[in-house]
Amino acid sequence: MSLAAYRTALLTLLSHYRRHPGQLVMLLVGLWVASALWSGVQAINASARDSYARAEALFSQQLDRIERRDGQPLRYEDFLTLRRDGAPVSPMVEGEVELADGTRLPVLGIDPLTLPEGGGLGAAQASETLLRFLRPPYRTRVAPETLATLSAEPGATPTLASGGTMPPLATDRTLPPELAVMDIAAAVVLLEASGPSHLVIAPEATLSLPDEWIRHSADNLTAPGQLTDSFHLNLTAMGLLALVVGLFIVHAALSLTLEQRLGLMRTLRALGLPGRPLVALLATELLILGLVGAMAGIASGVWLAQWLLPDVAASLQALYGERLGDELSLPWYYWAGGLTVTLGGLLTAGASSLWHAARLDILAMGRSQAWHGRFQRQLTGMAVAGGLLWLLAIGLGGWLHQLPPRAGLTLGFTMIAAALLGSALWLPPLLASLLAVLARTLRHRPLAQWAFADVNLQLPRLSVAMMALLIALSANLGVSSMVDGFRLTFLDWLDQRLVADLYLRPPADRYEAVADWLRERDGIDALLPTRDSETRLIDTPMQSTAQPVGLYGVTPHPRLRERWPLLDAISNDPWPAFQQGAVMINEQLALSSALSPGETLTLRTPQGPRAFQVAAVYADYGNPRGEVMLTTERLIERFQAPPGSIGLVLPPGRATDISALRDELSQHFGISRDSLIDQATLKQQSRTIFERTFAITRALNGLTLGVAGIALLTSLLAQAPQRRRQLAPLWAQGVSRRRLTGIGLCQLGGTALITACLAVPLGLALAWSLVAKINVAAFGWRLPLHVFPEHIATTLVLAVAVTLLAALLPAWRLWRLPPGHLLREFDAS
Amino acid sequence: MLELCDVSKSYATPQGPLSVLAGISLRLPAGDSLALMGESGCGKSTLLHLAAGLDVPDSGRVILAGQALDTLSESRRSALRRHRLGLVFQAFHLVPSLSVSDNLRLQARLADREDSAWTDELLGRLGLIGMRDRYPEQLSGGQQQRLAIGRALAVRPDLLLADEPTGNLDERSADEVLTLLLALVADSGCALLMVTHSPRVAAPLNHCLRLSHGQLMEATP
Amino acid sequence: MRFTRLRRLVTSRRVWLTIGLLVMLALVLLLQQRSDDSPPESFAGLGEETETFARAEPSHQLRFPDDHGPHPNYRIEWWYLTANLHDTQGEPLGIQWTLFRQALASPNDETAGDNGDSPWTTDQLWMAHAALSTPDSHWLDERFARGKPAPDQQGQAGVEAQPFAAWLDNWQLRSRAPNGDGLDALTVSARGIDDDSTFGYRLDLTAEGPLVLHGDNGFSQKTADGQGSFYYSQPFYRVEGQVEIDGEIRNVSGQAWLDREWSSQIMGPTQQGWDWFSLHLNDGHKLMAFRMRGGGDDGEDYLSGSWISPDGDVTDLANDTIELIPTEHSSVAKREIPTQWQLRLPGQDLDVTVEARNPERWMDTVFPYWEGDVTVEGSHSGVGYLEMTGY
Repeated sequence: MSLAAYRTALLTLLSHYRRHPGQLVMLLVGLWVASALWSGVQAINASARDSYARAEALFSQQLDRIERRDGQPLRYEDFLTLRRDGAPVSPMVEGEVELADGTRLPVLGIDPLTLPEGGGLGAAQASETLLRFLRPPYRTRVAPETLATLSAEPGATPTLASGGTMPPLATDRTLPPELAVMDIAAAVVLLEASGPSHLVIAPEATLSLPDEWIRHSADNLTAPGQLTDSFHLNLTAMGLLALVVGLFIVHAALSLTLEQRLGLMRTLRALGLPGRPLVALLATELLILGLVGAMAGIASGVWLAQWLLPDVAASLQALYGERLGDELSLPWYYWAGGLTVTLGGLLTAGASSLWHAARLDILAMGRSQAWHGRFQRQLTGMAVAGGLLWLLAIGLGGWLHQLPPRAGLTLGFTMIAAALLGSALWLPPLLASLLAVLARTLRHRPLAQWAFADVNLQLPRLSVAMMALLIALSANLGVSSMVDGFRLTFLDWLDQRLVADLYLRPPADRYEAVADWLRERDGIDALLPTRDSETRLIDTPMQSTAQPVGLYGVTPHPRLRERWPLLDAISNDPWPAFQQGAVMINEQLALSSALSPGETLTLRTPQGPRAFQVAAVYADYGNPRGEVMLTTERLIERFQAPPGSIGLVLPPGRATDISALRDELSQHFGISRDSLIDQATLKQQSRTIFERTFAITRALNGLTLGVAGIALLTSLLAQAPQRRRQLAPLWAQGVSRRRLTGIGLCQLGGTALITACLAVPLGLALAWSLVAKINVAAFGWRLPLHVFPEHIATTLVLAVAVTLLAALLPAWRLWRLPPGHLLREFDAS
Repeated sequence: MLELCDVSKSYATPQGPLSVLAGISLRLPAGDSLALMGESGCGKSTLLHLAAGLDVPDSGRVILAGQALDTLSESRRSALRRHRLGLVFQAFHLVPSLSVSDNLRLQARLADREDSAWTDELLGRLGLIGMRDRYPEQLSGGQQQRLAIGRALAVRPDLLLADEPTGNLDERSADEVLTLLLALVADSGCALLMVTHSPRVAAPLNHCLRLSHGQLMEATP
Repeated sequence: MRFTRLRRLVTSRRVWLTIGLLVMLALVLLLQQRSDDSPPESFAGLGEETETFARAEPSHQLRFPDDHGPHPNYRIEWWYLTANLHDTQGEPLGIQWTLFRQALASPNDETAGDNGDSPWTTDQLWMAHAALSTPDSHWLDERFARGKPAPDQQGQAGVEAQPFAAWLDNWQLRSRAPNGDGLDALTVSARGIDDDSTFGYRLDLTAEGPLVLHGDNGFSQKTADGQGSFYYSQPFYRVEGQVEIDGEIRNVSGQAWLDREWSSQIMGPTQQGWDWFSLHLNDGHKLMAFRMRGGGDDGEDYLSGSWISPDGDVTDLANDTIELIPTEHSSVAKREIPTQWQLRLPGQDLDVTVEARNPERWMDTVFPYWEGDVTVEGSHSGVGYLEMTGY
């Protein structure tokens, strides 16, 4: 066959859409929506991953840090002494500058000549670049995204709030966003530092340090990618959900167009178009549609990601301290990946249609479809498949149960996916059997009997949309239960942890002076100094290697003792034991190392390993690490922890003049007014971060529900001609159009209600797995499960509302149809 | 042109296999015309399907245009059908989303044998000139069947297979369509095998056979 | 029958158009790649033009011990020690200790700005190489430092003329004797890490001959158009000391050669590099010879050298009195490097084969080059060092 003949055949196949443009729209919309949501999420993830990769590759992340134990800054002479002794250390100075427009930019000053291998000099290529870096006016190297954020061009010299300028900007693609790197000579001046803030050294380099120095191992710093993995996996899960629901629409549209073109295809076969070319042409059609839909989707995905990015970036920075630029940086694999996933999804959705086309029975031309039998077989198949998926879900759940916390996140999501899909596959058989039962009970009411039979007729098409609705509804219920439960717990926990009324973190060199002054001052009841440090946990029951843990020192003031969120303790009051030298551990550590109150753990101290008794376990939401808590004095005594922050407890009832306190601190010690934070502000900030984090989840959730609604709408629209044909006989027999419309809405509403009833237990099961399994796998701590009756009610109402909304347009069309049309439909059938 | 040699075909039914054709043989030379009669449901359409290569016999051979269909691959059979056969069905089987003009030229385009002059002449003789841009659903039954005939003849087939072409039409349209069909067939010189249950329709053709209980026998209309 | 379809495909215009487009796309991408490659530079940028630095010229009197120290008016400078040693079992070892200085700011550069006093501002770049070779292995380490040349600022790296001390971190070359000529009695030490091996050495050097000025009273011409450097050597060191490899200590002794050279432009912009020989001959003579590739008239090579008698008398060897012919090449670090040479001085009846003990002496540093110990056979015998740059 010539190319022209294939062209004719393809155009004939596509001519169907000219008559039924609605179906084409449905197909493309489904593809577009699914692709957009998926791509949007992936755009955010890809952009973030790119950022993390750069941050992880940043030399400062892979090197050990050397600092003074007392937290004082270093001097040039310290660096020189170590170097003259042969130690391969390199100086770094860290800080932040405030630009004229108020933005704060972290600055890192380096000495490229002494950085350990791979850090600075090797890549210096031409000595010209190095020359410009090392000599006045120096260079500020930033990532391209940072240039965009600063709205500056390479070569520009941003003005500082203090009036000076930064060295000219230069682009460096390997840097993560929101970081400026320059020569240490320039940085020291810019940051007004007296010397380097710390030294770095390659982890494998051995060095014996005098006591006043401490070396922090590089792997104590969790790589940004690790921390944020769970966050991004959550995003991916939501995107995948949206993709699957969208693909439901696509599948529905494809099977509809196939069914309506069966006659056309048979005619073409009869006229001499061989079977394989026919399937190939259908696949070509799929490909073309897929490319169009995918392009639109990926482009919209970028727009969606831009819309969500500020919230994501803010959450990431607040939760993990990771900085994401305001601009998306989309690597090539984002585009390739989006296209592949969309086309792959389309192929999966269309596979059954293609298969049917391949097995086309030419001789069935003119014979009516034996649809009923086929559908029954399909139902059985679905029930079996659903059962298998549920078995898989249960199996995965059991396996997950045996894994240690902070592992098995992907497994958890797969389990949820299997359960959701299994339930979705059970829905049509459930609906069919329920309808059969109802039909039998109401068989003496003719109209009702017809109504049920009619729903049965619609079931093959309707069930796909209902499956999409089920998934969206249960996801909605599950996620909102989890989020609202989290919020309740979180707010409670905040109240418990934020004990002091004011918080202050004085600079290290003025710490003692400030602390003394505060002790003397009137109007302050107590000081609660805290400190933090880190060490390693040796030889616990679960692990054989030393595990890095955080150390946290608190002052056990009575107010703290009564409010601290303890989950488990050796006795009713573990605080005396705590003050005697026992420790408390956070939930993450308790789960990951299987320690419980009463057992002992061994920590590495500067004086050697030391055993401590565990007095209690406390809740510590949001902390990715295990943590051991001691009294601040003990922390100073045993671990020589540098100064941290001070909590001020104010006398109750008496109003202390906080403003005056701020002024005095500023005058006496040069501490800025903003450094003194009050509890209410802290709580507000925490709450804002919380809401922003879950704003994204909520947005995606809502969108998914919308997608399900579209699935339903398009399904109903596509069925409209057939519906008219079914309704025509009844109308001819005397049932008014109003009645018919009303019955139609009841049918749909009822089906939606049944779907919602299945969605409720499924949603609650989803909520449970989210808090008990996914959270533990992601973060290492559990959330209590809260069931909100109002959420359940909302689910039921939503289901019916979405369905009726979707049914509105077809119903109105039917209502407006002139009676003659109905007759003609009747005739033609 | 067409030859069936000892062809048998049976179908599986819940009551057991039903033999529709039992070792029938038939020859239709080029340019000749043959009417096939018999009661409804006795297998006339089956014979037609076998002749067109749309179905395979259980035993025996079908030779079309000198080629035995069982020796050909599926794509060769399709090609043969495309280039050499014209099919006219009882239920028209037009493509509802193509215009009249496109419907007429469909098989011709698939076979790369589109001849604008010939198709325009066909449109004229079939009385469809004024409807070229309309859609099948806007045509009457008679007009649709004429269009189907036009589609089959546009490719200049060597053999035209017609399955009860006037079955769905009223008497007057049926007469018109039949007259047209026979005239066009005579003009283009192709062979014609027509299945019908009406003696009136079978009368103008050269030969007539009756299918009864799976056997073919000579008949007079 | 099947091929007709293929043939039709091959002759179809559309197919060729698509192929053409793809090929064009590939070409564009390839060219893009190419244009990113920068043109080849002279070795370590040492051929760059300089206007603001001082130029090495003849008729300049060298004064010691002052000239043992750094010369910030000149762009590049080095203190270059090589030693041919053997341990108590007679196994030959080679040692290299080099300190390079490169000026980052020209002498009249006023851009030091307000923070000229900050210890971090730099106008010099110091680079040190330490290498140790045994017959089978080769270790090297490289370090960098920022610095000022001013001798009163004890920075991470620097050189002081009196008493002589040159250092970078804990790599040192310093005088043992506070009186007398600064370079008469030195101690050199370094410790380095190469892959996972540690190596180090600590050697005492005692001069058994005077300083040697090359070329015209210390001005060594390097190109036909008059570029050159100030260049003197102390080739008469006797060495005693210890060498450590992965914790194993060996006593060693032998000979060493210290080169002192400074200039602002050693090569022309288009020259690739040089080959340099320093040989200790068994009859007490020393020989320094070099070939600047492309430094002569019409792009020929420029040869020069010094024939040094055991008493320290120098005979300046001009272009036409030396023959340096590479006779064998080895593939080292994916390059073709001549590792065997024929060296002839007709005027001194010298005809020797100079051969690297082991070709694997590639210095894989930021500016890579080849440097290794060699043996001398032929009319004379001895040992020495060979350096080849720009390959």
